[in-house]
Amino acid sequence: MAHTDTARGAAEEARPAPRKAPGRPTQRGRSLLTRLDRRFLPVVGTVITLVLMLGIGQARYSTESTSFISMRLFSNLLVDNSYLLVLAIGMTFVILTGGIDLSVGAVVALVGLAVARLLIAGLPLPVVLVVGVLIGTLCGLLIGIMVQVFDIQPFIASLAVMFLARGLANVVSVQSLGISDPNFAALAGWSLQFGEGSTLWRISISMVIAMVLLAFAFYLLHYTRFGRTVYGLGAGDDGSAVKLMGLNGERTRILVYVISGTCAGVAGILFAFYTRSGFNLTGIGMELDAIAAVVIGGTLLAGGVGFILGTATGVLVYGLIQVLIAREGLDSWWTRVFIGVVLLAFVVLQRAITVRRRT
Amino acid sequence: MTASTGRGRSAGGSFLRDVSHHGLFWPVVALVLLVLACGLRSPGFLDVTVRDGHLVGQLVDIARNSATPLLLALGMCLVIATGGIDLSVGAVMAISLSVSLEYIDNAADGGSLGTALTALLLGLAVAVLVGTFNGFLVTVLGIQPFIATLILMIAGRGIAMLITQGQITTVTSAPFKAIGAGYVLGVPTPVVIAIAVFLLLSLVVRRTALGMFLEAIGINGEASRLSGVRARSTTWLCYIIAGTLAGLAGIVYGSPTMAADANNIGLMRELDAIMVVVLGGTKLSGGRFYLGGVVVGALILSTLERAVIIFHLPSETTPLFKAIVLIAVTVAASPFLRERLRSRRVRAELVPSGAKAAA
Repeated sequence: MAHTDTARGAAEEARPAPRKAPGRPTQRGRSLLTRLDRRFLPVVGTVITLVLMLGIGQARYSTESTSFISMRLFSNLLVDNSYLLVLAIGMTFVILTGGIDLSVGAVVALVGLAVARLLIAGLPLPVVLVVGVLIGTLCGLLIGIMVQVFDIQPFIASLAVMFLARGLANVVSVQSLGISDPNFAALAGWSLQFGEGSTLWRISISMVIAMVLLAFAFYLLHYTRFGRTVYGLGAGDDGSAVKLMGLNGERTRILVYVISGTCAGVAGILFAFYTRSGFNLTGIGMELDAIAAVVIGGTLLAGGVGFILGTATGVLVYGLIQVLIAREGLDSWWTRVFIGVVLLAFVVLQRAITVRRRT
Repeated sequence: MTASTGRGRSAGGSFLRDVSHHGLFWPVVALVLLVLACGLRSPGFLDVTVRDGHLVGQLVDIARNSATPLLLALGMCLVIATGGIDLSVGAVMAISLSVSLEYIDNAADGGSLGTALTALLLGLAVAVLVGTFNGFLVTVLGIQPFIATLILMIAGRGIAMLITQGQITTVTSAPFKAIGAGYVLGVPTPVVIAIAVFLLLSLVVRRTALGMFLEAIGINGEASRLSGVRARSTTWLCYIIAGTLAGLAGIVYGSPTMAADANNIGLMRELDAIMVVVLGGTKLSGGRFYLGGVVVGALILSTLERAVIIFHLPSETTPLFKAIVLIAVTVAASPFLRERLRSRRVRAELVPSGAKAAA
């Protein structure tokens, strides 16, 4: 499957395949498989899962007066998971190139603490926010340089930066630092309200930031030369195809980690908005949540295949699992078990329907 | 590699180059530097004395603390040799310890030797099952090892919480406590267990063809299968070994306190284990592996943790130093620096100073 195609039009959910899948016998579900472009299948699976979960929720938790599926539900999902969405957006870039970034959870903690500490020190809010994001950018740059220049595996390079960020966060403070800056509180609390009573829903600053980043990432991945290079790097040929096409693979490989780090910086600020504090134990395992959301969103960990909108759907599925577990009244550890089960179902499904790459 | 560039100024130049190109050179340098730093700072550091027939001293403590990461990393090393990775080992520690302690908690005679042995075997049996499950996903379903084991990394801790019903299970059982806190001929039991496992694995890997098979699979699984290596069952076996050793590590780790805190036992230990394997000179991409290097890596890790205490640094800063050691060792061993090292002697002066910063 040509990766250059992949860079176009993820918005079209199920466009008819322009040609038959070449020379590969299709087994079951022939009509469905031939009508869909193969690379959309994992994303279609994600959407079906989301719809199923929404259906279950609607059937079980709707009452006479309120419907489970509502603007309120989606608004809450996005407010609660905006930081995860931002992390997953950055992670998608990295995973598309066949890499991984384990540092993001620790970076979220570091940025949150740095923001809290700098605000306590009395620096103006805009400066603090920019510095916060730049801390993430720097962490990403460090990984990128280690990966590209020193040829260290992404897993190890990002693991090192994860330890680094976690250690630095512990140096800043091992106690939770509350943020009492009035400007910060005003920004974090800003929202547009719609509807009233039980149909009340709102748009918060975190949602807006996450949506803007999503739109920007969509444009970057699917409509630019940079995006094509990202997909090309994931082809698993050490970037030789990219080089032959005259694209700058070296720079792009560093840039995807810079993007992921920057996203982690933004997510750190969003998380600080969410909790109004910085804490060094924040974000343990958050990188895995982001990776899981990306994978559930239909991006292959091997690189080269995936869509940013799939990632957004994956985050929604992730958030919805938590909502359903909470509504069901189950203990919180069931969440982890269910996410594991969904992840398992997903990768088995992906395995069953996607072409074997790189056997 | 031995091709002389004719630039070496001293007679020992080429010998030094050969030694410095050995996979274990930088890890050993890091370990020696760490031990030296500790020895200089704390004069009694190197003393090992016998008290009540037990070996005591800082070095003994370090060896004891190395046991858990060593057990995890030995299994991890085999998995990595096949080109895989096992992210679930930390969660497996929690699961097997939970199962063991729940059994003792519910047994009629909690303090008897039989109960402790059954608990140990039950815990190990569950770990074997988990390893089998991981291996099944990887070898039969062909799911990427990262994702396959990520499933249990996320779900495993939830499962452990289900086993302990969300409580911290605590028991009293002298025989069970002896597994982690006892002594055999004056040597702490965990050290004995870890050495026994290391010797057994080394024997199996180096005295039979298994080691060669592992390397063949890690370099090219398909080619090794075509040339008659049972790639699937061999790889599967590695995941089972990794799971089993993780279970053993969980029991060894938790037995002195006899408390199963499913949320925290083995948290992020999989990353420590991977770091240990990488510090030991094994490449994450599979193929060549060094079990001896794993021992060096585990010793570096626990010496580092001890060094932070000896230097009166807050223990929360440990991740920072882990990051420095990891970056120093991997960058020093990277092809980029190796090239520079070979062509320009001046560079050779710069590298050790980078590694020294770790101590």
